[in-house]
Amino acid sequence: MPSARTASRRRPLGLAPFLWVALLLYVAFLVYPVLNSLWTSFTDKNPLRAESSFVGFDNYTEMLTDERLRASLLFTVVVVVVVTLIANAIGLGFALLLNRQSVGYRVMRTLIFIPQVLSGVIVAIIWRSILTENGLLNAVLQRIGVTSAPVSWLGSTEMATLSLCAVVSWITIAFATVVYSASLRSVPPSLYEAAKMDGAGAVSRFRNVTFPMIAPGTTITVVLCLITTFKLYDVIAVLTGGGPANTTQSTAYYLIQLAFTNNLFGYSSAVAMLLLALTAGIAYLVTNVLRKREARL
Amino acid sequence: MSTLRIPLRRRGHLASAMLVTAAYILPVYVALVSAFKTQDQILANPAAPPAPFTFDNIIKALSRPDNLVQGGLGNSVFVTAATVVLLVPLASAVSFYISQRTPKVKAALLAFFALGLMVPPQVVLLPIVELLTAIGLDHTYPGLILSNIGGGYLSFAVFVYVGFLRTVPPEIIEAARVDGAGDVRLWWQVIMPVVRPATATVSIFLGLWVWNDFLNPLLILGPLQGQTITTGVYLSVGGYSTDYGQLFGIMFLSAVIPVVGYLVSQREFIHGLMSGASK
Amino acid sequence: MYRLRRALTSVIAASALFAVAACSTSANTENGTGSGTSLTFLTFETPALTAKFWDDSITDALKSVPDTKINKIVSPNTDRNAYAKQLQASGQFPDILSSINPKDFIEANLLTPFDKAWLEENFLLPGANNIKGSTYIPPTNSQILPMVFYNKDVFAKNNITVPKTWAEFMTVVGKLKAAGVTPIELAGAEPWSASMPLVGLMSAHVLGKRPTWVADRYAGAAKFTDADVVAAVTKQRDLIQAGAFGKGALGVNYADANKQFLDGKSGMYLMGSWFIGQIKPEQAASFGSFLLPTEDGSLVVPFNVGGTTAVSAKAPDVAKATAFAKAWSLSPNNLRTLIETDGAFPMMKKLKLEDFGAKVTPVFTEAYTYVTSENTKVSSVGWVNNDDAMPPGVADLFYALSQQLFTNGDVKAQLAALDAAWDKAAGK
Repeated sequence: MPSARTASRRRPLGLAPFLWVALLLYVAFLVYPVLNSLWTSFTDKNPLRAESSFVGFDNYTEMLTDERLRASLLFTVVVVVVVTLIANAIGLGFALLLNRQSVGYRVMRTLIFIPQVLSGVIVAIIWRSILTENGLLNAVLQRIGVTSAPVSWLGSTEMATLSLCAVVSWITIAFATVVYSASLRSVPPSLYEAAKMDGAGAVSRFRNVTFPMIAPGTTITVVLCLITTFKLYDVIAVLTGGGPANTTQSTAYYLIQLAFTNNLFGYSSAVAMLLLALTAGIAYLVTNVLRKREARL
Repeated sequence: MSTLRIPLRRRGHLASAMLVTAAYILPVYVALVSAFKTQDQILANPAAPPAPFTFDNIIKALSRPDNLVQGGLGNSVFVTAATVVLLVPLASAVSFYISQRTPKVKAALLAFFALGLMVPPQVVLLPIVELLTAIGLDHTYPGLILSNIGGGYLSFAVFVYVGFLRTVPPEIIEAARVDGAGDVRLWWQVIMPVVRPATATVSIFLGLWVWNDFLNPLLILGPLQGQTITTGVYLSVGGYSTDYGQLFGIMFLSAVIPVVGYLVSQREFIHGLMSGASK
Repeated sequence: MYRLRRALTSVIAASALFAVAACSTSANTENGTGSGTSLTFLTFETPALTAKFWDDSITDALKSVPDTKINKIVSPNTDRNAYAKQLQASGQFPDILSSINPKDFIEANLLTPFDKAWLEENFLLPGANNIKGSTYIPPTNSQILPMVFYNKDVFAKNNITVPKTWAEFMTVVGKLKAAGVTPIELAGAEPWSASMPLVGLMSAHVLGKRPTWVADRYAGAAKFTDADVVAAVTKQRDLIQAGAFGKGALGVNYADANKQFLDGKSGMYLMGSWFIGQIKPEQAASFGSFLLPTEDGSLVVPFNVGGTTAVSAKAPDVAKATAFAKAWSLSPNNLRTLIETDGAFPMMKKLKLEDFGAKVTPVFTEAYTYVTSENTKVSSVGWVNNDDAMPPGVADLFYALSQQLFTNGDVKAQLAALDAAWDKAAGK
């Protein structure tokens, strides 16, 4: 019941239909699918079988012994950690290097973002052509004498993982650079002036002025790195196809394989629930930790 | 002396900045020049400039019998535009509604919409396909567009708008109310113009994401309704496509729209990146 | 801002236009005439089976099926079986499917069997693709997979003769290695092509001694962890450790492997007999084939009766789909192309090899004698389409094992995992 206060003023009730439409779509295409997935994870549903039945926690116990799942989780963690570190370090480096205001620098900052604009499929195809046995990278390395024979960049687990990390980092650096550039521009020049007056050197100026001011940029970049690498699919599909021998599969990639290639709807739903718990948990943790850090600074 | 030294140092800084940028952007450059080189030129030296220049790859890509590029571009434009055009008013109206509610309701609704930011699309893909099948929209464009609107994109848009609406002075809304504007008119005629920067952010980001989306078109749309350009590029790679010239030609055509769009709207883009991502 | 708005407005206008004019795109070309039934046909493209081959073959088969339209769906990679499952999982199972593994789909009653009389009338081995008494893929042609293709010039240059026993084979590997040639080419990037050495070893060394091994495995009388299987699979580890495969073998795809072998960069290549189609007439003198040797040198032929067109039980018009599938299978033109480009050995009752007028190389003729002569033929493990096919999904794991052996030396544990997967999939 609306009270006598100016409730009608505060509530654009005429817009309620929009809310209902949005909620309906949101529930239909996000909330319900999650619940449906949860339900399916307790069955052995498989469209290539005539019938499915309730199997309790079988899918969840099976996850404990699933080597490929374990490998995919490990791989995901490796990629997430490596990409987050590299993208933040190099992105910050680029941003500091390009932190000038003339036209030339602006053009460079514009160009550096392009890898983010291209689709993962395209980026992966470009890199695949560079990484092939007789591709550009091997040609360059042999010409300058770093290697004597062509390196098989996608031919072994270690190399393929390295290549994937490099390509995903390459995409993410673009984002990090732009975010850090914007953060750097938000630092008031007066702070630097003051630090200079106090006789602080370049290193100390960076540590005491720049670094605290770009903390929000770090938050954004880290969160984005986590979100994108956890749902990484297209780059893997094109660059390595999950190979060699299924060793470069992120959990998200493995999940799609389980559902759409092995048709294990029940089991893939259980893996989906695990992935969801992980992403939600990590997103929650990271935002809290970084927000606290920002607040402390 | 010192007046001479500073420009030198500055020049050194500029040179190293250019070198680093060039090295980083090299793959994009390789892809760009490869689109205008013959297969032999590409294999001989991928990094060489396209001389002699050839339009063969582009012409060949556009004259494929399966109409992959034109059709794919058309479908991508359609899906992207439809998603953005439907999502922007919906999200802004909902956000305005949310921002006008009591703090408790507002917090509850925002928490509810926050879920969408955390759910990887792979988690909900299979149930979505089944749901669309149940309502007879499986493997259709409306089905794909609806699932775009109802998913995480909506959450993203709501968060950007709600964040932006915080910065809108309440006096503006009050003044309009005194003039006796109804809710819908108030939203359309007062709020929409005010939140234009947020609209730019949302449109640009969603446009880019939907355009580059791969998994949903691949599995929700499937092979029979035609491809979006992103899945089209993926399929044209095939198992054994080593015809790089042709491949780079198709990629050039598929990337030219988002890249030009980015360059044109670059300022809003960077702006939006900061305001949209800092929420 | 204005620029942006203008751009957005034009995008909206353009999209409105597109919305009115629905666009049909993609690799799905429509063939056929009239307003009749529209059927979907899943195909896959390889260096031999090009888009043109499929289009021509569809046109050819449609001549005898009036009032029908065929929508071609092209698999994004060679693994059309996986793609068929993906389409099925997302509710778009094709009406006609080329060269899939029927066992994956019959449990859910997705396929229609062909009638016995028609099979009897047209094929040399009408029951070759029987699963529980029904055939879902017409036995139009056969394959030997794998064969060992070898480069005669490389062998001659290093004084190597064709090995007859396993010990001799290992010696050949050592000699090639010493000569600085990659002993065995492997297309390790994709599981299906990476599986060839393992399929060869299982077929020759296990089924060669015990042809009923797969049936025994189903009955629980045999296991992957049995000593004979462990010994056979360990031989692949021996090969890997002896440096038989190139360093980056797991990164090489099928097309590149073909090229490297044909360019003389490697001495031997284990591949299905379809590779014969990749050897051009002018190269044919340099290449020959033999079968993977057994311990005692006895000859074992890993044999598979192939075929292409399976028909979905869910097709809008099963009768028409079946008619198309039959026409496609019997079309002499199609089979001639398959003989020439895909090394197919014809298995037709009414047509002998010479009736097709196909131009074949000596490599083909030489290999074909294995098919026509009396010898020990066993099911090609993990590849056949009959009762000896593995349970749904297990073949994929078996193929992947061939890749895993490169990095994981614990043969027994991996075979135990395969046993567990088998039992689970076979519903034990």
